[in-house]
Amino acid sequence: MSPALELVLILLAWGTFVGLDLVSVPQMMIARPIVAGPIAGAILGDVPTGLQLGVLFELFQYDILPVGAARYPEYGPATIAAVSAAHAATGTLGLGVGAVVGLITAMAGGASLLVVRRLNTRAVHRAAAALETGEPRTLERLHVAGILRDAARAAVVTAVGLALAQLARDYLVGTLSSRGVALLNVAAVGAALAAGTAGTLRLVGRGPGLGWFAAGLVGGAAVVWLR
Amino acid sequence: MTTASLPARPPLGRALLRLFTVQGSWNYERMQGIGMGVAEQPLIRDLAGNGTAYRAAVARAARFFNAHPYLCGLAVGATARAEHDGVPPEQVERLRAALCGPLGALGDRLVWAGWLPLTSGLALIGVALGLGLRAVLGFLIVYNIGHVALRWWALRAGWTYGGRVATALRAPALQRVTALSAPAMALVSGAALPLVVQFLTGGYLGWTRAVLAVVAAGGFALLWWQRSRLTGLRFGLVLLALATLRGWLWP
Repeated sequence: MSPALELVLILLAWGTFVGLDLVSVPQMMIARPIVAGPIAGAILGDVPTGLQLGVLFELFQYDILPVGAARYPEYGPATIAAVSAAHAATGTLGLGVGAVVGLITAMAGGASLLVVRRLNTRAVHRAAAALETGEPRTLERLHVAGILRDAARAAVVTAVGLALAQLARDYLVGTLSSRGVALLNVAAVGAALAAGTAGTLRLVGRGPGLGWFAAGLVGGAAVVWLR
Repeated sequence: MTTASLPARPPLGRALLRLFTVQGSWNYERMQGIGMGVAEQPLIRDLAGNGTAYRAAVARAARFFNAHPYLCGLAVGATARAEHDGVPPEQVERLRAALCGPLGALGDRLVWAGWLPLTSGLALIGVALGLGLRAVLGFLIVYNIGHVALRWWALRAGWTYGGRVATALRAPALQRVTALSAPAMALVSGAALPLVVQFLTGGYLGWTRAVLAVVAAGGFALLWWQRSRLTGLRFGLVLLALATLRGWLWP
């Protein structure tokens, strides 16, 4: 089942906005999977799948710290593509398929960030003389061009992700046995839990934070047990 | 030094709006420099000197800069104020350069390793407990109250203190918030983990639970001990490729 063209276009617009938010404008964290996924799910009329993949990719997101010139995968548009792929396979059956599409898109998104940064560097280098004279229009033009470049990048990454989702729907869903699908889901959730736990513990460190983390773990486990 | 050219009502709101785009033209040569120049423009446009002082200040504002994006306003406000106060150009440049490291380190600790994982952990808990989209909306609202407040505080503090901006960074309230954010983040992240496991694996039975435990524990060990070489993304991709292959071969 493929989403209607209007829905694909809305997902593309949402992915572009999400991709822009990661670095350029306005960094209000709609690029976080926990936001991008559920909204994509709401667009497709499938909030539960959006929430599940939002949580799954939020765990992968914990593995990275977006500091300075660091290289990192882009999980926002990736989560949108993942939700689009998983929506076709419905519910938990689609989690693994969504994860496959999402992780490949995240890798492509990370690579595209480097391309845009290089293009920006070239443009700034070319305008160095005008910048040193304090030409305000050159400054504004460079800045707006950078934002437009990032918007185009985000749109292309989302489009690639949605195309991958279509391919997964056509060629992956249906070729796997029910046990194969279950294995794919387990691999996706296991990898996300491993990445999320390792990333969180790196943030917490070995100091007093570890005690607070352990206390939280016990509290969370108690809530699970009581429910 | 003179404060004669200081505007009665500095356009801090316009500078703040531009600061939301500060990384829009991020590049390897000047990093956030272009965005910083664009954000500082409204605050230095009325500099005296027939346009020459303004252009010289714009050129300085657009040079290399790299710090946490939410705290760039502190440098924008401080340097704009220093330009108005008639601080010599070399001193303005030294002020910008001196702010990069502290603003980067403070922002990373306060936001990337504190406020963001804390609020996103609360969102994960909310979703796992069945709050659905309300948890997501709550995350966006709560996170951005802190985000916008930090940006506004930074810009105002920079403009208020100018060249003495280091005073703002030593504010007791800021020190307290920074000290509290790490344990709060650790506590919430720890609590979120079991709830997320339950949320994602609610329907798992029999062999899938055993395989999941092995994959998650083995993956964690690999990612922890091979952290310089292996990322969560690579581990996930390899694992999913193997699972897909096994799924095709396993009827």
